Amino acid sequence: MRELRFDDVTVHFGSRRRGVTAVDGVDLTVPAGTVVGLVGESGSGKSTLARAAVGLAPLSGGRILLDGEPVPRRGRRPLRMVFQDPYSSLNPRMTTGASIAEALPRRTADRRAEVARLLDLVGLAAEQAGRYPGELSGGQRQRIALARALAGEPEVIIADEITSALDVSIQGTVLNLVRDLQRRMGLTILFISHDLAVVRYVSDVLAVMYRGRIVESGPAEQVLADPQDPYTRDLLDAVAAPVHSGHQADRGRNP
Amino acid sequence: MARRWAGVLRSPLGASAAVLVAAILVLAVLAPLLWTDAATATDTARISQGASAEHWAGTDSLGRDIFARVLVATSLSVRLALAATAIGVVVGLLLGTAPLLVGRRAGRLVTAVVNIAVAFPGLLLALFFAVIFGVGATGALFALGLAIAPAFARLTQTTTARVAGLDYVAAARIAGVGRFRVLFRHVLPNVAEPLVVNATVAAGSALLAFAGLSFLGLGVQPPDYDWGRLLGEGLGAIYLHPAAALAPGVAVVLAGLAFNLFGEALAKVLGERRPLERPVRRTAAEPAPDDSAMLVVEDLRVAFPGVEPVRGVGFAMDRGDAVGIVGESGSGKSLTALAVSRLVDESGEVRAERLSFLGADLRAGPHRRLLGTSLAMVFQDPMTSFNPTMRIGRQLAEVACEHQGLGRAAALDRAVDRLDAVRIPEPARRAAQYPHEFSGGMRQRAMIGMGLMGSPALIVADEPTTALDVTVQRRVLSLLADIRAADDVALLLISHDVTVVEQVCDRVLVMYAGRIVEDLPSAELRSRARHPYTRALLAAVPDMTTDRSLPLAVIPGRPADPAHLPTGCAFAPRCPLADERCTATEPDLVADDAGRRVACWHADIPVEVRA
Repeated sequence: MRELRFDDVTVHFGSRRRGVTAVDGVDLTVPAGTVVGLVGESGSGKSTLARAAVGLAPLSGGRILLDGEPVPRRGRRPLRMVFQDPYSSLNPRMTTGASIAEALPRRTADRRAEVARLLDLVGLAAEQAGRYPGELSGGQRQRIALARALAGEPEVIIADEITSALDVSIQGTVLNLVRDLQRRMGLTILFISHDLAVVRYVSDVLAVMYRGRIVESGPAEQVLADPQDPYTRDLLDAVAAPVHSGHQADRGRNP
Repeated sequence: MARRWAGVLRSPLGASAAVLVAAILVLAVLAPLLWTDAATATDTARISQGASAEHWAGTDSLGRDIFARVLVATSLSVRLALAATAIGVVVGLLLGTAPLLVGRRAGRLVTAVVNIAVAFPGLLLALFFAVIFGVGATGALFALGLAIAPAFARLTQTTTARVAGLDYVAAARIAGVGRFRVLFRHVLPNVAEPLVVNATVAAGSALLAFAGLSFLGLGVQPPDYDWGRLLGEGLGAIYLHPAAALAPGVAVVLAGLAFNLFGEALAKVLGERRPLERPVRRTAAEPAPDDSAMLVVEDLRVAFPGVEPVRGVGFAMDRGDAVGIVGESGSGKSLTALAVSRLVDESGEVRAERLSFLGADLRAGPHRRLLGTSLAMVFQDPMTSFNPTMRIGRQLAEVACEHQGLGRAAALDRAVDRLDAVRIPEPARRAAQYPHEFSGGMRQRAMIGMGLMGSPALIVADEPTTALDVTVQRRVLSLLADIRAADDVALLLISHDVTVVEQVCDRVLVMYAGRIVEDLPSAELRSRARHPYTRALLAAVPDMTTDRSLPLAVIPGRPADPAHLPTGCAFAPRCPLADERCTATEPDLVADDAGRRVACWHADIPVEVRA
């Protein structure tokens, strides 16, 4: 397992003058064998950062390094990604087995056995390989997506909002699975979510992203117990206290 | 798929399309074998004659039987049309998928070329190419093929661009799958439907266009002949013996119709899956007088053909109440809200023992004015609940013009006032803006402002903050709480998130598989919930105090499917307490002395014992 490092990464969309800078000079290290949780609101650039890591978004500046080596931008990547929406992340015209097998390295000898092993790893029966995504529930699809990400022993996994499209009773199962796989296989994971409680549960290190920048990062307990950045404090307030009427402090603040 | 084919073939459109296409294809194969002799036999004794018993469509200038010639021409006409379509489809596919294959810069160039080509009418392109390639069948064939290509390329580009942006394509790329395999395995199979349908319709047009070219003398040259050629030859004498021109004309129309109808039928087979069942009529009962609570719902049922997602929901609300409905997808919580606001689709049947709002029986009559002014609805997605082409202020004002009879200016003033009430800074300037200029949280506030245009007694909010960020979510929730406190407005909040409901509401209704399984004050949710589902739901969601060293509590199995409910308690298959009684009979929702309700056979087992 290896270390993933973002070194002054900038992602800019559109023309130089009028475009949008989605990720603005991000430095972030995901140490080998740990889970780094990345929280932030929608539009803060956390998904763009993830997509940049696997070469789906163009880098305008900086480097993304895996153990000091630049991550390849094309061909087979040593990183894998699990997506938010289990309905659009599996090809509806391919059996789940075929989807997983496609992610295996070419030299794999017994593909069928390997697919069965991966399915077993995520707690599904080998028979599921012959089924189409349309026959599966959201939670099962997300397990298939995880199995596909684990195919060919990737070094780093990027999980982008993997539970936010799932029902609450299913979310727990997937989180337990991620946690269990990470411990058993010593995976390095960048875990992205807008849900602070979910991120807190799975991560060792916490990074908070706001408007394209990492505003705070550190060991999870430390960041949560003693937040330094005003935005982190906002986030913590939002999940902690109950809502009452007459919160005049909210008045006039631009969302 | 086979069943859908059968279904479409049984419909009048599908049946006639299939018969016509089959007839034309059979004719195209058999006619040259059977009637070539008759079609080429010259008879100098009968030149340019009209229709007769012997020659149904008359004879041409060499005395050949025109009807036989029309039949034999089927083969060439259809072959040329299909070949032209094939050329168009292949070139179109190559151009349309090029952006995926050749990289960004070259792809942009191809796209630009296609966009320019699309701007020219197809027939103009065909004539242009026909002149370049020269007069004759081959020239016309390529001309038509290339004329079809741009439109087809454009369609391919648009549809493949959509699929290429999906996550499974991204996942394949990350796994190092080559671009050709991505194209053939992931992209093309998922865009095949519109392309196949379009190609079939294009074949019909190609047939007509080819007839046109031949008619003009640019297509098939003698001694060969197709329908267009025959039409051109027959037209000269149309006033003397019209059958000579009409016969090939009818053939062109029939064949063109056949291909187009077949395309339509194919679209039905391959297209979107929609239930074909007829909507069920809504039941309207006698209006019953009502005096008690503001909103009374008793034994509410919502049924769609073959499934009943809401199975007997009952609750009552008074002015100023805040009630939350919690449940997973498929629990029927949103449909309950829609039924209360009378917004269930035409195909759904809403029944209830009682459904009254402010004393009016909602089951009878549309109650547009009452619902329009006294009930406000806030939906999940603030992006789609506004019309993107109208200014925010105008959209709010519309409500007042429609229901309160205010003039334009007065309504707009009220809209600005309401935007201020939902704490939108600079409301006058904001009212003149379009929805896309608002952030998600602002849009949701404007939506609430729209609900406040009347003087609502009830706000129904269906997942109002699910699409928003936590910090924004909080502001929207506290706004709802303020409005409730200020004007004694009742709030019915639907959410999948127990925490949100707990934060805002006084009472929580927990729904599972279309029924309320528990109803209790939200203050007692964590301490005194008695239904195992409620307790499991609370345990399954991590909060800021969850122990990280332990696995999360999970609910085994998957949420109940409303179309396949088990007998007995719907939660029994996932319940740790389930026994024979649970799987045999469904428990009723029973109220205790304090008004808390629960539907569970084991509700009396103390909480501590279960843990």
